[in-house]
Amino acid sequence: MKAYRGWLLPLVALGAWWLASEYGWSRSGLWVSPQQVLATAIHEVASGHLWVALGASLARDLSGFAIGAGLGLALGCVLGLSALGNRLLGPSFNTFKQVSLFAWIPLISVWFGLGDVAKVVFLSLAALVPVVVNTADGLRNVPLPLLEVARVYGYSRWQSLTLVRLPAALPSIFTGLYLGLIYSWLATIGAEYLLVSGEGIGNTLIDGSEHFRMDLVLFGMLVIGTVGWLLNSLARLAERRLQRLYGTF
Amino acid sequence: MQANSLVLDHVSKHFTQPNNGAALQVLDDIALNIAPGEFISIVGASGCGKSTLLRLILGLESEFEGQILLGGRAIRGTGLERGIVFQDHRLFPWLNVRDNIAVGLKNSPLASAAKQQVVREHLALVGLERFAEAYPHQISGGMAQRVAIARGLVNRPSVLLLDEPFGALDALTRARLQNELQRIWAQENITMVLVTHDVEEAVFLGDRVVVMQPNPGRIKRIVDVGLPHPRQRSDARLVALRDDVLGDFLDA
Amino acid sequence: MSRANSATWLRQQRWAWPTWPARGLARSLPWLLPLALFTTWAVGAQQGWVSPQVLPAPAYVYDTLKDLAISGDLWANTSASLQRVLLGYALGTSLGLVLGGLMGLSRAAEAYLLPSFNALVQIPVLGWLPFALLLFGIGEPLKYALIAHAALVPVTLGTLQAFRQAPVKWLEVGRAYGFSRRQLVTGVVLPAALPTLFTALRLGFTKAWLSLVVVELVASSEGLGYLIVYGRQLFQLDLVMAAVVVVGAIGYLIDRGFDALERRLGAWRPV
Repeated sequence: MKAYRGWLLPLVALGAWWLASEYGWSRSGLWVSPQQVLATAIHEVASGHLWVALGASLARDLSGFAIGAGLGLALGCVLGLSALGNRLLGPSFNTFKQVSLFAWIPLISVWFGLGDVAKVVFLSLAALVPVVVNTADGLRNVPLPLLEVARVYGYSRWQSLTLVRLPAALPSIFTGLYLGLIYSWLATIGAEYLLVSGEGIGNTLIDGSEHFRMDLVLFGMLVIGTVGWLLNSLARLAERRLQRLYGTF
Repeated sequence: MQANSLVLDHVSKHFTQPNNGAALQVLDDIALNIAPGEFISIVGASGCGKSTLLRLILGLESEFEGQILLGGRAIRGTGLERGIVFQDHRLFPWLNVRDNIAVGLKNSPLASAAKQQVVREHLALVGLERFAEAYPHQISGGMAQRVAIARGLVNRPSVLLLDEPFGALDALTRARLQNELQRIWAQENITMVLVTHDVEEAVFLGDRVVVMQPNPGRIKRIVDVGLPHPRQRSDARLVALRDDVLGDFLDA
Repeated sequence: MSRANSATWLRQQRWAWPTWPARGLARSLPWLLPLALFTTWAVGAQQGWVSPQVLPAPAYVYDTLKDLAISGDLWANTSASLQRVLLGYALGTSLGLVLGGLMGLSRAAEAYLLPSFNALVQIPVLGWLPFALLLFGIGEPLKYALIAHAALVPVTLGTLQAFRQAPVKWLEVGRAYGFSRRQLVTGVVLPAALPTLFTALRLGFTKAWLSLVVVELVASSEGLGYLIVYGRQLFQLDLVMAAVVVVGAIGYLIDRGFDALERRLGAWRPV
């Protein structure tokens, strides 16, 4: 409905930016024009720099996410299904997740260096936390009435796990994976920023910043935002599919 | 003849109150013999323990005094020979109508082809063949309750327990489902125990109506309806009986 | 009432451990893992399984923490960090409340602003950092700006959502009694929005604290984050760990504080 209204602000901002650079309102060498950013973007895309950096970032992101999500599902199941496991590990985990993730980076860099191993370790930690929380919650909060149905039909423990608890927890587990995907993307940028080495879209930003190239910085921000948005939309699409299947409880 | 009769032999039930640990009696000395194929209605105000009684028969609660015998044997835990229809239909939201009905057959000894056949028959029995692929959130409350009835019947239980099955439905849907339940009962020839707070429903469906009163829950009296099925709602004798039973609650 | 029995059954379904011989044992279970980790750490450090440069002994970390506290360094750096986070949070929260409130109360404002806001939100704090570095230099404004931004996002979105979700059924009650627009806002929309608003403010603080650490890691000459970087550069892991412990402890305490506040304020819950 009246979607054009949303375009007003960006267009005005872009226009003002263009005018400002056209008439030289700012003398600062940092002030770049929209055309310069566009030229940089075209150059980065055409020369292949972008694809190398983006490919390296995404590869890291996905491998970290895969490891973190896998471990997170396992730990979440232990916490959600076993009273013993929950007592044994739950409080420790809750304390651990309180510590700001980025505070671990200096320790990680000492233990694992500055290379890809350290980054992937950090990314998996970032993805792990939301997956564990939501998986455990989902499994714990299966509605009692549904479990009673399983009991009425004499379901074994295994049957009520696979046929009732897991499907009932699925939306929550999915939310955890979705959050994990977002978190690990944010952590990818953070890892490239704080564990400086190698290629990556975060390194593109640092290069731009170090050489006072605002055009490169703005382009890097644009790419990061776009990738985040794409991951977001992808996950939301899948979530909506799932919801349509489930309806409301 | 008495092979599948359901006998409640002086059943009492106490709950331990979580706050002070004191025992609270919810059922006091319930004695009832239910003949095979009989339709029993249990009617009472909320809090009279009628739903608890049903959960005892179903086997969801195992701690009580007295005995519950089915076909001469004491029940232990839940069993496929006792089906249930809950007030909230309790269909699995992630399964379609057909698969929800099949939930009841998971542990049945039938071969898989036979299971499919049984599910098809029960879809037809409740008139939902066209909705086999629909998910619970896509169908109306009345349809969901019919699915729940079908799920309760797939194992051909000797007793079907109904816990206020139409309590959440609108009056018109409720009347239609009552007619349908009457037809299914006649067709399947199984024992049904219906718990309800709707006196008209109890009288319309039941061969006998058990009137319960609260604090602690006990049987006030048992009314023999003594009218042949299928019945007409407007039947003057039914109306008179309904007013009679309603009187039990208005006095108290 | 009938839940008692089902709850028992439920516990059995959760693969509960067979009845514990003693309650004390059950209560001590949560300490098992931290204790085991700590023992491994202490013994490992003492036996020299790993170099102290990679993993200093717990006693050493404790000494460092004590020295920091006595010398006053700890307090100086902590107060620098707290000052930053509070100012940045106040800045971001006020802006977020205004922005979110504006969009929540006016559909037109939402139509004009929200798409741009959503687009900018896609760029995380760390993405803004190089931009802000070039713009503001490495001084304090940079830190305030980034921390404010971190708090701004959840507070704005939470405020918007809080105002939007005032259930129609309650608004209709207000309308039936002839409430004016102002009365509807103060009498229905605001009270209905409070719980969600509080959650947003809390989330905003968590984010602000998180980005404080990040910002200080990257660019600062004092603060807890700086202590971490400094220790890392000198390969004094005892310093790094001591600072991490303080960061974690403060984050934990603030979270508890919000929890207590919420319980005290949370007079009503959704029915």
